[in-house]
Amino acid sequence: MKIICLIKYIPDVENFKYDYERNVLVRENVRMILNPDDACTVAFALKRKDQYPDTVIEVVTMAPQSIIPQLEDLLRLGVDHASLISDKAFVGSDTYVTSRILGRYLREASFDCILTGTHTLDGDTAHVPSQVAELLSLSQMSNVVEIDEAAFCRERAIVEAEEELTFGTYEIALPAVISLRKDRKYKLPYIRYEELSRDVKDRIQIIDNDVLGFAQEEVGIIGSLTQISSTFVKSMEKKKRIIVRNDDEGIDLVYSFLKERGFV
Amino acid sequence: MKKVLIYYEQKQHKNSIELLAVARLIYGGTSADEEHTEAYETYGVSLEPTGSEANGLFDFLIQICGDSAQRERRALAPCQEHDQDNSPGCDALYMTSILAELQQEYQFDCILFPATHMGRMLAPRLAMRLQTGLVADVTDIRYKDGIMEIVRPAFSGKLMAGILSRTAPLMMSVRQNVFSYDPGRLTETRLISYTPKTASSEGLRLLKVREKEASKDIRDSDILISGGGGVMRDFKKLSDLAGELDALVSASRKTVDHGIAPRSIQVGQSGKTVSPKLYLALGINGSIQHIEGLKNVEYMIAVNTNKNAPICSISDIVVEGDAKEFINKLTEKIRKEKSKEARNEFAFQK
Ligand SMILES: Cc1cc2nc3c(=O)[nH]c(=O)nc-3n(C[C@H](O)[C@H](O)[C@H](O)COP(=O)(O)OP(=O)(O)OC[C@H]3O[C@@H](n4cnc5c(N)ncnc54)[C@H](O)[C@@H]3O)c2cc1C
Repeated sequence: MKIICLIKYIPDVENFKYDYERNVLVRENVRMILNPDDACTVAFALKRKDQYPDTVIEVVTMAPQSIIPQLEDLLRLGVDHASLISDKAFVGSDTYVTSRILGRYLREASFDCILTGTHTLDGDTAHVPSQVAELLSLSQMSNVVEIDEAAFCRERAIVEAEEELTFGTYEIALPAVISLRKDRKYKLPYIRYEELSRDVKDRIQIIDNDVLGFAQEEVGIIGSLTQISSTFVKSMEKKKRIIVRNDDEGIDLVYSFLKERGFV
Repeated sequence: MKKVLIYYEQKQHKNSIELLAVARLIYGGTSADEEHTEAYETYGVSLEPTGSEANGLFDFLIQICGDSAQRERRALAPCQEHDQDNSPGCDALYMTSILAELQQEYQFDCILFPATHMGRMLAPRLAMRLQTGLVADVTDIRYKDGIMEIVRPAFSGKLMAGILSRTAPLMMSVRQNVFSYDPGRLTETRLISYTPKTASSEGLRLLKVREKEASKDIRDSDILISGGGGVMRDFKKLSDLAGELDALVSASRKTVDHGIAPRSIQVGQSGKTVSPKLYLALGINGSIQHIEGLKNVEYMIAVNTNKNAPICSISDIVVEGDAKEFINKLTEKIRKEKSKEARNEFAFQK
């Protein structure tokens, strides 16, 4: 069985600072990390490969070439191939264009199932998995918290998805796109000591626009259908506040505040 | 006359109806920044048989019917017949085809989805099918020099971005619970039955539905006792205070990421947007992503060891100190006052 994990590397957003004085985002020295939801897809695929060694795993990502060391680490964990889609022409693409680029590669690729994350910590539009599925005319399910491992086969998958008020269990005919959501069940293992310095370069392929053949005006910022026209910080309305301490006086004040407004 | 199509999910009635407020902001001249009016009419579309709830709100209600829709409903109904009412969502691949057919027929200028589980799968598919741009998780619409900007959080929510959509139809998924719709006068909804030409894809089948345990929704509570990194070790204590105030417990993402609180009670950009009358923020720092989830909160009390934490600047009362100690003291105080009242009442009755 061949599984493709469609993954994204994102800036380590927790350490992403906004400079309120200069009104700019501080992006220097920001580390790139594997988006947590996406890491789950690789973790699931590796777990499956442990049980069924004939499982073949390919990770596909669109990123600058500087991400290669991180892809090498995934290969050292047991991923079979990494495909890096990378071209200067693709920089600045919105989700619509990104989906088309990925879709064009995937149309030629072979797979039984595509796994993706549901959300990314940076853009968080969740558009790409659905749009890739649309381009490939496949079914897709988001917010999947569990894939039934025993039932997972070339023909179908049984998955549980978290919806607003319920969890729904679905049977999906494969090939399809299954989008996971971060869960403790699926965690990436550590690289084994003897693998740490293994040379895996020959298992990475780089795919650029010479291969995919988009016209210049179809991709990047020019090809994008949406465009950011302004950014602003949401101003918080400051309040005239009372500051008290955690002593009897403070508690009494909080209590009367609640009492006066009918909360107790 | 502009035409707006709204994806109506019966199970998410309120969040679907909120989209009428967005249509009003786009065409109805209710945007805060600049007046912009154009005549428009609204179309709701639903795969589920819609009840009377949607009546009087849309100008038109398109009801998908016919053979394939019935087959689809059956395919999506869980195995037990009696559970049919609980059938959530449907096959986005099939629904996309239906919506594309409707677009062909009606030529909508604008298509809106609630940013629900289903809406977020469906909107990007349809946008791809129609080759049009889509803005996700919209939180506001504003006009600048007659040009519409669609507002959503960007850069991990550290900023808001105004986005221009360069293509038609205009498509958005709309953040839940951010907009509220007051219909004013009810309109007369005209029903349209639509039989799709496309057959169901049959690639997806719903096998069963499980209700979530935490059935109480933090969005419905007037009072929220919310805990963050500063009360992580004593998170369970929050429910003592919540019990006394008839409130629900909510949380910041820090506690959720640490597995201490369930995701369903997370407030913020990647959690829920809430509008309680009273928000008690215990050991919460007040990151932009957290504040993003607070909409029309009437009163706010923050308890924090650092009185300069960002949350404090938007609070009515700041209690400088340890959150656990505060919970204990306030819970005790409320209990004491309640029993005093009870005693007085008892004395009075005597
Ligand atoms: C894309 C993205 C989306 C996000 N979405 C959300 C979201 O939806 N919701 C959300 O909440 N966060 C979200 N975050 C995370 C957010 O940036 C913060 O990391 C998070 O809100 C911090 O949680 P906190 O304030 O509870 O914890 P901390 O940052 O750890 O703050 C703890 C606070 O408690 C105080 N404190 C410490 N000890 C005590 C004590 N004993 N008693 C009282 N006070 C004490 C501290 O002074 C501090 O103010 C998101 C981040 C990203 C990048």
